[in-house]
Amino acid sequence: MNEIGGAPLFFLEFGDIVIYFSPFTITLFLLALVFSVFVLVSRPERQIDIAFGADAFYAKVISLSELKFRRFMSIACGLACMGAMVTGDLFDFTLFVSLVGICNVGIVAAVKSRHVQNAAYQYGLVALAGTVPMFAAAAMVAATTGTLSMLELAEGTIQVPLAARALLVLGVMGEGMAPFYAAKAEMFRAPGAPYVIMCSLSSLLIFLRVAEVILVL
Amino acid sequence: MIAELLFATFFGLLLLGIHRKVIARIQRRPGPPVWQEILHMLKFSFKTTWVPNTASAALFVGVVLVAIGIWTAALFVVTSGGSLLVIFAIYMLHKIVEHGFGLSSGSPYGKFGGVRSVISAASEIPLIVSVAAIAIFTKSLLISDIVAYQTLHGPLLLTIPPAAVAMYVVLISKMPFGPFSIVESKELVSGYKTEHFGVWRAGLEICNGLKTYVLLLTFILVFAGGLPFWLILLAMLLITLSLSFVCALSPMLSPYDSVTIQTIIAGLMVAYVAILGVVS
Repeated sequence: MNEIGGAPLFFLEFGDIVIYFSPFTITLFLLALVFSVFVLVSRPERQIDIAFGADAFYAKVISLSELKFRRFMSIACGLACMGAMVTGDLFDFTLFVSLVGICNVGIVAAVKSRHVQNAAYQYGLVALAGTVPMFAAAAMVAATTGTLSMLELAEGTIQVPLAARALLVLGVMGEGMAPFYAAKAEMFRAPGAPYVIMCSLSSLLIFLRVAEVILVL
Repeated sequence: MIAELLFATFFGLLLLGIHRKVIARIQRRPGPPVWQEILHMLKFSFKTTWVPNTASAALFVGVVLVAIGIWTAALFVVTSGGSLLVIFAIYMLHKIVEHGFGLSSGSPYGKFGGVRSVISAASEIPLIVSVAAIAIFTKSLLISDIVAYQTLHGPLLLTIPPAAVAMYVVLISKMPFGPFSIVESKELVSGYKTEHFGVWRAGLEICNGLKTYVLLLTFILVFAGGLPFWLILLAMLLITLSLSFVCALSPMLSPYDSVTIQTIIAGLMVAYVAILGVVS
Protein backbone atom coordinates (compact mmCIF):
# COMPACT_ATOMS: atom_id res chain seq x y z
CA MET A 1 0.00 0.00 0.00
CA ASN A 2 3.02 2.30 0.07
CA GLU A 3 2.70 3.22 -3.60
CA ILE A 4 -1.00 3.90 -3.81
CA GLY A 5 -0.39 7.08 -5.77
CA GLY A 6 2.01 5.30 -8.13
CA ALA A 7 5.74 4.72 -7.75
CA PRO A 8 7.60 7.83 -6.44
CA LEU A 9 9.39 9.63 -9.27
CA PHE A 10 11.91 11.54 -7.18
CA PHE A 11 12.62 12.85 -3.67
CA LEU A 12 13.75 16.30 -2.64
CA GLU A 13 15.33 16.33 0.81
CA PHE A 14 15.54 19.36 3.10
CA GLY A 15 17.26 17.82 6.11
CA ASP A 16 14.73 15.45 7.67
CA ILE A 17 11.85 16.99 5.70
CA VAL A 18 11.31 15.17 2.42
CA ILE A 19 9.24 16.34 -0.50
CA TYR A 20 8.23 13.56 -2.86
CA PHE A 21 6.71 13.49 -6.30
CA SER A 22 4.61 10.49 -7.33
CA PRO A 23 2.23 10.43 -10.32
CA PHE A 24 -0.57 11.30 -7.89
CA THR A 25 1.14 14.17 -6.04
CA ILE A 26 2.67 15.60 -9.22
CA THR A 27 -0.78 15.65 -10.91
CA LEU A 28 -2.22 17.61 -8.00
CA PHE A 29 0.84 19.88 -7.80
CA LEU A 30 0.67 20.71 -11.51
CA LEU A 31 -3.03 21.55 -11.32
CA ALA A 32 -2.43 23.89 -8.39
CA LEU A 33 0.38 25.47 -10.41
CA VAL A 34 -1.72 25.86 -13.57
CA PHE A 35 -4.59 27.54 -11.73
CA SER A 36 -2.14 29.80 -9.84
CA VAL A 37 -0.84 30.94 -13.24
CA PHE A 38 -4.45 31.61 -14.31
CA VAL A 39 -4.86 33.79 -11.22
CA LEU A 40 -1.72 35.71 -12.17
CA VAL A 41 -2.62 36.34 -15.80
CA SER A 42 -6.45 36.61 -15.69
CA ARG A 43 -8.56 39.67 -15.22
CA PRO A 44 -11.77 38.88 -13.33
CA GLU A 45 -15.00 38.51 -15.29
CA ARG A 46 -17.81 41.08 -15.07
CA GLN A 47 -20.80 39.16 -13.79
CA ILE A 48 -24.07 40.03 -15.44
CA ASP A 49 -27.22 40.03 -13.33
CA ILE A 50 -30.81 40.79 -14.17
CA ALA A 51 -32.36 43.90 -12.59
CA PHE A 52 -35.67 42.51 -11.34
CA GLY A 53 -38.75 44.57 -12.09
CA ALA A 54 -37.12 46.33 -15.03
CA ASP A 55 -36.07 45.56 -18.56
CA ALA A 56 -32.36 45.88 -17.73
CA PHE A 57 -29.27 44.16 -16.46
CA TYR A 58 -26.19 45.27 -14.60
CA ALA A 59 -22.57 44.09 -14.42
CA LYS A 60 -20.67 43.59 -11.18
CA VAL A 61 -17.19 45.09 -11.51
CA ILE A 62 -14.34 44.36 -9.09
CA SER A 63 -12.40 47.43 -7.95
CA LEU A 64 -8.63 47.55 -8.39
CA SER A 65 -7.86 47.45 -4.66
CA GLU A 66 -10.16 44.43 -4.16
CA LEU A 67 -8.62 42.76 -7.22
CA LYS A 68 -5.08 43.21 -5.85
CA PHE A 69 -5.93 41.82 -2.43
CA ARG A 70 -7.87 38.82 -3.72
CA ARG A 71 -5.20 38.05 -6.30
CA PHE A 72 -2.55 38.11 -3.57
CA MET A 73 -4.62 35.78 -1.35
CA SER A 74 -5.29 33.44 -4.29
CA ILE A 75 -1.61 33.16 -5.16
CA ALA A 76 -0.78 32.52 -1.51
CA CYS A 77 -3.50 29.88 -1.52
CA GLY A 78 -2.01 28.31 -4.64
CA LEU A 79 1.46 28.21 -3.09
CA ALA A 80 0.13 26.68 0.15
CA CYS A 81 -1.77 24.18 -1.91
CA MET A 82 1.32 23.19 -3.90
CA GLY A 83 3.19 22.70 -0.62
CA ALA A 84 0.43 20.54 0.82
CA MET A 85 0.39 18.35 -2.31
CA VAL A 86 4.02 17.30 -2.27
CA THR A 87 5.16 17.43 1.34
CA GLY A 88 6.17 14.16 2.99
CA ASP A 89 5.90 15.56 6.51
CA LEU A 90 2.62 15.35 8.41
CA PHE A 91 3.17 18.54 10.41
CA ASP A 92 4.01 20.52 7.26
CA PHE A 93 0.88 19.13 5.68
CA THR A 94 -1.28 20.43 8.53
CA LEU A 95 0.48 23.82 8.37
CA PHE A 96 -0.08 24.15 4.64
CA VAL A 97 -3.73 23.07 4.95
CA SER A 98 -4.41 25.63 7.68
CA LEU A 99 -2.80 28.28 5.46
CA VAL A 100 -5.16 27.21 2.66
CA GLY A 101 -8.08 27.78 5.05
CA ILE A 102 -6.84 31.25 6.01
CA CYS A 103 -6.33 32.25 2.36
CA ASN A 104 -9.78 30.96 1.41
CA VAL A 105 -11.34 33.17 4.09
CA GLY A 106 -9.35 36.12 2.71
CA ILE A 107 -10.44 35.46 -0.88
CA VAL A 108 -14.15 35.53 -0.06
CA ALA A 109 -14.14 38.02 2.83
CA ALA A 110 -12.77 40.77 0.57
CA VAL A 111 -15.96 40.77 -1.53
CA LYS A 112 -17.99 43.91 -0.80
CA SER A 113 -21.31 42.13 -0.28
CA ARG A 114 -23.07 41.59 3.03
CA HIS A 115 -24.27 38.08 2.05
CA VAL A 116 -20.83 36.95 0.94
CA GLN A 117 -19.18 38.39 4.06
CA ASN A 118 -21.70 36.65 6.33
CA ALA A 119 -20.97 33.35 4.60
CA ALA A 120 -17.21 34.03 4.79
CA TYR A 121 -17.47 34.78 8.52
CA GLN A 122 -19.30 31.49 9.18
CA TYR A 123 -16.83 29.56 7.06
CA GLY A 124 -13.97 31.31 8.87
CA LEU A 125 -15.26 30.07 12.22
CA VAL A 126 -15.44 26.51 10.89
CA ALA A 127 -11.95 26.78 9.38
CA LEU A 128 -10.54 28.10 12.66
CA ALA A 129 -12.18 25.28 14.58
CA GLY A 130 -10.85 22.81 12.02
CA THR A 131 -7.24 23.58 12.90
CA VAL A 132 -7.71 22.13 16.40
CA PRO A 133 -8.38 18.47 15.42
CA MET A 134 -5.85 18.74 12.60
CA PHE A 135 -2.94 19.79 14.80
CA ALA A 136 -4.16 17.42 17.50
CA ALA A 137 -3.87 14.61 14.95
CA ALA A 138 -0.28 15.59 14.11
CA ALA A 139 0.56 15.80 17.81
CA MET A 140 -0.95 12.37 18.46
CA VAL A 141 1.04 10.85 15.60
CA ALA A 142 4.27 12.42 16.89
CA ALA A 143 3.57 11.27 20.45
CA THR A 144 2.66 7.68 19.59
CA THR A 145 5.09 6.96 16.76
CA GLY A 146 7.98 9.36 17.39
CA THR A 147 8.00 10.59 13.81
CA LEU A 148 6.00 12.83 11.48
CA SER A 149 7.60 11.57 8.28
CA MET A 150 4.96 10.04 6.00
CA LEU A 151 7.64 7.91 4.33
CA GLU A 152 8.63 6.32 7.65
CA LEU A 153 5.02 5.88 8.71
CA ALA A 154 4.19 4.30 5.33
CA GLU A 155 6.61 1.45 6.00
CA GLY A 156 3.92 -0.01 8.25
CA THR A 157 6.23 -0.92 11.14
CA ILE A 158 4.60 1.66 13.43
CA GLN A 159 0.83 1.66 13.97
CA VAL A 160 -0.84 5.08 13.66
CA PRO A 161 -3.84 5.42 16.03
CA LEU A 162 -7.23 5.35 14.29
CA ALA A 163 -8.26 8.43 16.31
CA ALA A 164 -5.35 10.42 14.81
CA ARG A 165 -6.46 9.55 11.28
CA ALA A 166 -10.07 10.44 12.09
CA LEU A 167 -9.04 13.80 13.60
CA LEU A 168 -6.91 14.58 10.55
CA VAL A 169 -9.85 13.97 8.22
CA LEU A 170 -12.14 16.02 10.48
CA GLY A 171 -9.67 18.91 10.46
CA VAL A 172 -9.34 18.90 6.68
CA MET A 173 -13.14 18.79 6.35
CA GLY A 174 -13.24 21.98 8.43
CA GLU A 175 -10.55 23.74 6.38
CA GLY A 176 -11.90 22.88 2.94
CA MET A 177 -14.68 25.04 1.62
CA ALA A 178 -15.90 22.55 -0.99
CA PRO A 179 -17.69 20.19 -0.94
CA PHE A 180 -18.83 20.26 2.70
CA TYR A 181 -19.37 24.00 2.86
CA ALA A 182 -20.56 24.29 -0.72
CA ALA A 183 -24.19 24.86 0.28
CA LYS A 184 -23.09 28.42 1.08
CA ALA A 185 -23.58 29.30 -2.56
CA GLU A 186 -23.01 33.02 -1.84
CA MET A 187 -19.29 32.36 -1.81
CA PHE A 188 -19.18 30.35 -5.02
CA ARG A 189 -21.28 32.77 -7.01
CA ALA A 190 -19.33 35.82 -5.86
CA PRO A 191 -17.66 37.71 -8.72
CA GLY A 192 -13.98 37.11 -9.44
CA ALA A 193 -13.91 33.70 -11.16
CA PRO A 194 -10.14 33.08 -11.04
CA TYR A 195 -10.09 33.70 -7.27
CA VAL A 196 -13.30 31.85 -6.38
CA ILE A 197 -12.11 28.85 -8.37
CA MET A 198 -8.94 28.80 -6.29
CA CYS A 199 -11.16 28.29 -3.20
CA SER A 200 -12.90 25.23 -4.62
CA LEU A 201 -9.72 23.89 -6.25
CA SER A 202 -7.67 24.13 -3.05
CA SER A 203 -10.46 22.47 -1.05
CA LEU A 204 -10.73 19.53 -3.44
CA LEU A 205 -6.95 19.18 -3.66
CA ILE A 206 -6.50 18.96 0.12
CA PHE A 207 -9.30 16.36 0.29
CA LEU A 208 -7.57 14.31 -2.38
CA ARG A 209 -4.22 14.55 -0.63
CA VAL A 210 -5.65 13.65 2.78
CA ALA A 211 -7.23 10.56 1.20
CA GLU A 212 -3.75 9.47 0.10
CA VAL A 213 -2.23 10.36 3.48
CA ILE A 214 -4.84 8.32 5.37
CA LEU A 215 -4.34 5.30 3.09
CA VAL A 216 -0.55 5.56 3.41
CA LEU A 217 -0.41 5.90 7.23
CA MET B 1 -0.81 7.31 -28.07
CA ILE B 2 -2.22 9.80 -30.63
CA ALA B 3 -4.14 6.98 -32.34
CA GLU B 4 -5.50 5.80 -28.98
CA LEU B 5 -6.48 9.35 -28.09
CA LEU B 6 -8.36 9.85 -31.35
CA PHE B 7 -10.06 6.46 -31.06
CA ALA B 8 -11.10 7.16 -27.45
CA THR B 9 -12.52 10.58 -28.38
CA PHE B 10 -14.52 9.34 -31.36
CA PHE B 11 -15.73 6.15 -29.66
CA GLY B 12 -16.72 8.12 -26.54
CA LEU B 13 -18.68 10.58 -28.69
CA LEU B 14 -20.31 7.68 -30.56
CA LEU B 15 -21.42 6.19 -27.22
CA LEU B 16 -22.91 9.56 -26.23
CA GLY B 17 -24.73 9.64 -29.59
CA ILE B 18 -26.10 6.14 -28.96
CA HIS B 19 -27.13 7.31 -25.49
CA ARG B 20 -29.18 10.15 -27.00
CA LYS B 21 -30.71 7.86 -29.62
CA VAL B 22 -31.76 5.20 -27.10
CA ILE B 23 -33.30 7.80 -24.78
CA ALA B 24 -35.24 9.23 -27.72
CA ARG B 25 -36.53 5.80 -28.84
CA ILE B 26 -37.65 4.92 -25.29
CA GLN B 27 -39.54 8.21 -25.22
CA ARG B 28 -41.05 7.43 -28.66
CA ARG B 29 -39.16 10.18 -30.47
CA PRO B 30 -37.07 9.54 -33.60
CA GLY B 31 -34.00 11.12 -32.01
CA PRO B 32 -30.81 12.30 -33.72
CA PRO B 33 -28.50 9.95 -35.66
CA VAL B 34 -26.02 8.06 -33.45
CA TRP B 35 -23.06 10.03 -34.85
CA GLN B 36 -24.70 13.37 -33.90
CA GLU B 37 -22.17 14.09 -31.12
CA ILE B 38 -19.27 13.54 -33.53
CA LEU B 39 -20.94 15.92 -35.99
CA HIS B 40 -21.39 18.46 -33.18
CA MET B 41 -17.71 18.32 -32.38
CA LEU B 42 -16.71 18.74 -36.04
CA LYS B 43 -19.29 21.47 -36.64
CA PHE B 44 -18.17 23.53 -33.64
CA SER B 45 -14.54 23.19 -34.73
CA PHE B 46 -15.25 25.32 -37.81
CA LYS B 47 -17.80 27.77 -36.42
CA THR B 48 -17.15 31.39 -35.51
CA THR B 49 -15.37 31.60 -32.17
CA TRP B 50 -15.45 34.47 -29.70
CA VAL B 51 -14.76 35.36 -26.10
CA PRO B 52 -17.60 37.33 -24.44
CA ASN B 53 -16.78 40.93 -23.43
CA THR B 54 -17.67 40.17 -19.83
CA ALA B 55 -15.49 37.04 -19.60
CA SER B 56 -12.25 36.48 -17.74
CA ALA B 57 -10.50 35.75 -21.05
CA ALA B 58 -7.49 33.71 -19.92
CA LEU B 59 -9.61 31.49 -17.68
CA PHE B 60 -12.38 31.22 -20.28
CA VAL B 61 -9.92 29.76 -22.80
CA GLY B 62 -7.52 28.05 -20.39
CA VAL B 63 -10.16 25.92 -18.72
CA VAL B 64 -10.94 24.25 -22.08
CA LEU B 65 -7.29 23.22 -22.40
CA VAL B 66 -7.25 22.00 -18.80
CA ALA B 67 -10.38 19.90 -19.47
CA ILE B 68 -8.79 18.17 -22.46
CA GLY B 69 -5.46 17.86 -20.63
CA ILE B 70 -6.79 16.14 -17.52
CA TRP B 71 -8.82 13.57 -19.45
CA THR B 72 -5.92 12.88 -21.81
CA ALA B 73 -3.81 12.24 -18.72
CA ALA B 74 -6.58 10.01 -17.34
CA LEU B 75 -6.61 7.95 -20.56
CA PHE B 76 -2.85 7.53 -20.32
CA VAL B 77 -3.10 6.44 -16.66
CA VAL B 78 -5.83 3.86 -17.36
CA THR B 79 -4.16 2.36 -20.41
CA SER B 80 -0.77 2.19 -18.68
CA GLY B 81 -2.25 0.49 -15.58
CA GLY B 82 -1.51 3.46 -13.29
CA SER B 83 -3.05 4.36 -9.96
CA LEU B 84 -6.82 4.40 -9.53
CA LEU B 85 -6.31 7.27 -7.09
CA VAL B 86 -5.11 9.46 -9.98
CA ILE B 87 -8.31 8.67 -11.91
CA PHE B 88 -10.29 9.56 -8.81
CA ALA B 89 -8.37 12.85 -8.53
CA ILE B 90 -9.03 13.71 -12.18
CA TYR B 91 -12.70 12.85 -11.81
CA MET B 92 -12.97 15.23 -8.84
CA LEU B 93 -11.01 17.95 -10.60
CA HIS B 94 -13.49 17.81 -13.46
CA LYS B 95 -15.78 19.65 -11.00
CA ILE B 96 -13.31 22.53 -10.98
CA VAL B 97 -13.36 22.53 -14.77
CA GLU B 98 -17.17 22.75 -14.78
CA HIS B 99 -16.99 25.49 -12.15
CA GLY B 100 -14.40 27.32 -14.26
CA PHE B 101 -16.49 27.01 -17.42
CA GLY B 102 -19.50 28.42 -15.61
CA LEU B 103 -17.94 31.31 -13.71
CA SER B 104 -15.45 32.55 -16.29
CA SER B 105 -18.02 33.87 -18.77
CA GLY B 106 -19.90 36.26 -16.47
CA SER B 107 -23.23 34.82 -17.66
CA PRO B 108 -25.83 34.13 -14.93
CA TYR B 109 -26.72 30.78 -16.58
CA GLY B 110 -23.13 29.63 -16.62
CA LYS B 111 -22.64 30.88 -13.09
CA PHE B 112 -25.54 28.84 -11.70
CA GLY B 113 -24.40 25.78 -13.66
CA GLY B 114 -20.98 26.17 -12.03
CA VAL B 115 -22.47 26.63 -8.56
CA ARG B 116 -24.63 23.52 -9.02
CA SER B 117 -21.53 21.63 -10.03
CA VAL B 118 -19.85 22.52 -6.75
CA ILE B 119 -22.86 21.72 -4.58
CA SER B 120 -23.29 18.32 -6.24
CA ALA B 121 -19.79 17.29 -5.13
CA ALA B 122 -21.41 14.63 -2.92
CA SER B 123 -21.48 12.45 -6.04
CA GLU B 124 -17.73 11.95 -5.67
CA ILE B 125 -17.97 10.31 -2.27
CA PRO B 126 -19.32 6.95 -3.58
CA LEU B 127 -16.27 6.85 -5.87
CA ILE B 128 -13.77 7.18 -3.04
CA VAL B 129 -15.73 4.59 -1.06
CA SER B 130 -15.48 2.24 -4.05
CA VAL B 131 -11.75 2.92 -4.17
CA ALA B 132 -11.45 2.10 -0.45
CA ALA B 133 -13.41 -1.15 -0.88
CA ILE B 134 -11.15 -2.17 -3.76
CA ALA B 135 -8.03 -1.36 -1.70
CA ILE B 136 -9.24 -3.62 1.14
CA PHE B 137 -9.27 -6.64 -1.20
CA THR B 138 -6.48 -6.01 -3.67
CA LYS B 139 -4.01 -4.25 -1.28
CA SER B 140 -3.06 -2.03 -4.21
CA LEU B 141 -4.61 0.80 -6.17
CA LEU B 142 -2.61 0.26 -9.35
CA ILE B 143 -5.04 -0.71 -12.11
CA SER B 144 -2.52 -3.27 -13.41
CA ASP B 145 -2.48 -4.93 -9.93
CA ILE B 146 -6.29 -4.84 -9.72
CA VAL B 147 -6.56 -6.55 -13.12
CA ALA B 148 -3.96 -9.15 -12.05
CA TYR B 149 -5.89 -9.77 -8.79
CA GLN B 150 -9.06 -10.47 -10.77
CA THR B 151 -7.23 -12.91 -13.04
CA LEU B 152 -6.50 -15.01 -9.93
CA HIS B 153 -9.61 -14.42 -7.81
CA GLY B 154 -12.38 -13.63 -10.32
CA PRO B 155 -14.11 -10.31 -11.09
CA LEU B 156 -14.53 -7.79 -8.26
CA LEU B 157 -18.07 -7.27 -9.58
CA LEU B 158 -18.98 -10.56 -7.88
CA THR B 159 -16.82 -10.00 -4.77
CA ILE B 160 -17.93 -6.46 -3.88
CA PRO B 161 -21.12 -5.74 -5.88
CA PRO B 162 -22.14 -2.72 -3.72
CA ALA B 163 -18.87 -0.97 -4.68
CA ALA B 164 -19.69 -1.63 -8.35
CA VAL B 165 -23.18 -0.20 -7.80
CA ALA B 166 -21.64 2.91 -6.18
CA MET B 167 -19.39 3.45 -9.18
CA TYR B 168 -22.34 2.84 -11.51
CA VAL B 169 -24.14 5.69 -9.69
CA VAL B 170 -21.07 7.84 -10.36
CA LEU B 171 -21.38 6.97 -14.06
CA ILE B 172 -25.07 7.93 -14.01
CA SER B 173 -24.22 11.27 -12.42
CA LYS B 174 -21.84 12.04 -15.30
CA MET B 175 -24.17 11.00 -18.15
CA PRO B 176 -26.16 13.74 -19.89
CA PHE B 177 -29.98 13.83 -19.46
CA GLY B 178 -29.77 11.76 -16.27
CA PRO B 179 -31.49 12.27 -12.91
CA PHE B 180 -28.42 14.04 -11.51
CA SER B 181 -27.64 16.23 -14.58
CA ILE B 182 -28.53 19.42 -12.72
CA VAL B 183 -25.46 21.27 -14.00
CA GLU B 184 -26.82 21.46 -17.54
CA SER B 185 -30.49 21.59 -16.75
CA LYS B 186 -32.73 23.30 -19.33
CA GLU B 187 -33.83 26.13 -17.02
CA LEU B 188 -30.15 27.21 -17.14
CA VAL B 189 -30.10 27.05 -21.00
CA SER B 190 -27.01 24.78 -21.25
CA GLY B 191 -25.75 25.35 -17.70
CA TYR B 192 -22.03 25.80 -17.27
CA LYS B 193 -21.34 25.50 -21.02
CA THR B 194 -23.90 28.08 -22.15
CA GLU B 195 -21.38 30.71 -23.26
CA HIS B 196 -18.71 28.44 -24.74
CA PHE B 197 -19.24 28.36 -28.48
CA GLY B 198 -17.18 27.65 -31.57
CA VAL B 199 -13.86 25.95 -31.05
CA TRP B 200 -14.15 26.18 -27.23
CA ARG B 201 -17.33 24.09 -27.41
CA ALA B 202 -15.59 21.64 -29.74
CA GLY B 203 -12.90 21.29 -27.04
CA LEU B 204 -15.60 20.61 -24.49
CA GLU B 205 -17.14 17.95 -26.75
CA ILE B 206 -13.71 16.28 -27.08
CA CYS B 207 -13.43 16.33 -23.29
CA ASN B 208 -16.89 14.73 -22.97
CA GLY B 209 -15.98 11.96 -25.41
CA LEU B 210 -12.72 11.23 -23.61
CA LYS B 211 -14.39 11.36 -20.20
CA THR B 212 -17.09 8.87 -21.22
CA TYR B 213 -14.52 6.46 -22.68
CA VAL B 214 -12.16 6.70 -19.69
CA LEU B 215 -14.87 6.26 -17.04
CA LEU B 216 -16.43 3.25 -18.80
CA LEU B 217 -13.01 1.67 -19.42
CA THR B 218 -12.06 2.17 -15.77
CA PHE B 219 -15.33 0.60 -14.59
CA ILE B 220 -14.76 -2.46 -16.78
CA LEU B 221 -11.08 -2.92 -15.88
CA VAL B 222 -11.72 -2.47 -12.17
CA PHE B 223 -14.81 -4.64 -11.83
CA ALA B 224 -14.53 -7.17 -14.68
CA GLY B 225 -10.76 -7.42 -15.11
CA GLY B 226 -8.70 -7.67 -18.28
CA LEU B 227 -10.88 -8.62 -21.26
CA PRO B 228 -10.09 -8.82 -24.99
CA PHE B 229 -10.35 -5.39 -26.60
CA TRP B 230 -13.46 -6.19 -28.65
CA LEU B 231 -15.18 -7.48 -25.51
CA ILE B 232 -14.29 -4.28 -23.64
CA LEU B 233 -15.91 -2.23 -26.42
CA LEU B 234 -18.99 -4.47 -26.31
CA ALA B 235 -19.18 -4.12 -22.52
CA MET B 236 -18.92 -0.32 -22.87
CA LEU B 237 -21.83 -0.38 -25.30
CA LEU B 238 -23.96 -2.53 -22.98
CA ILE B 239 -23.24 -0.32 -19.96
CA THR B 240 -24.11 2.76 -22.02
CA LEU B 241 -27.42 1.15 -23.04
CA SER B 242 -28.26 0.39 -19.40
CA LEU B 243 -27.37 3.97 -18.43
CA SER B 244 -29.61 5.26 -21.24
CA PHE B 245 -32.55 3.27 -19.85
CA VAL B 246 -31.97 4.72 -16.37
CA CYS B 247 -31.69 8.26 -17.76
CA ALA B 248 -34.75 7.89 -20.01
CA LEU B 249 -37.00 6.49 -17.29
CA SER B 250 -36.07 8.76 -14.38
CA PRO B 251 -36.92 12.45 -14.15
CA MET B 252 -34.25 15.05 -13.50
CA LEU B 253 -34.18 15.80 -9.79
CA SER B 254 -34.22 19.25 -8.27
CA PRO B 255 -30.73 20.39 -7.15
CA TYR B 256 -31.28 19.75 -3.43
CA ASP B 257 -33.04 16.41 -4.03
CA SER B 258 -30.13 15.37 -6.23
CA VAL B 259 -27.62 16.24 -3.51
CA THR B 260 -29.75 14.52 -0.83
CA ILE B 261 -30.00 11.26 -2.78
CA GLN B 262 -26.28 11.26 -3.59
CA THR B 263 -25.49 11.91 0.08
CA ILE B 264 -27.72 9.01 1.17
CA ILE B 265 -25.97 6.69 -1.31
CA ALA B 266 -22.60 7.94 -0.04
CA GLY B 267 -23.67 7.30 3.59
CA LEU B 268 -24.77 3.74 2.77
CA MET B 269 -21.48 3.10 1.01
CA VAL B 270 -19.42 4.44 3.91
CA ALA B 271 -21.32 2.06 6.25
CA TYR B 272 -20.71 -0.85 3.83
CA VAL B 273 -16.97 -0.19 3.63
CA ALA B 274 -16.74 0.24 7.42
CA ILE B 275 -18.36 -3.19 7.83
CA LEU B 276 -16.11 -4.62 5.11
CA GLY B 277 -13.04 -3.21 6.89
CA VAL B 278 -14.08 -4.72 10.23
CA VAL B 279 -14.92 -8.15 8.72
CA SER B 280 -11.71 -8.40 6.71
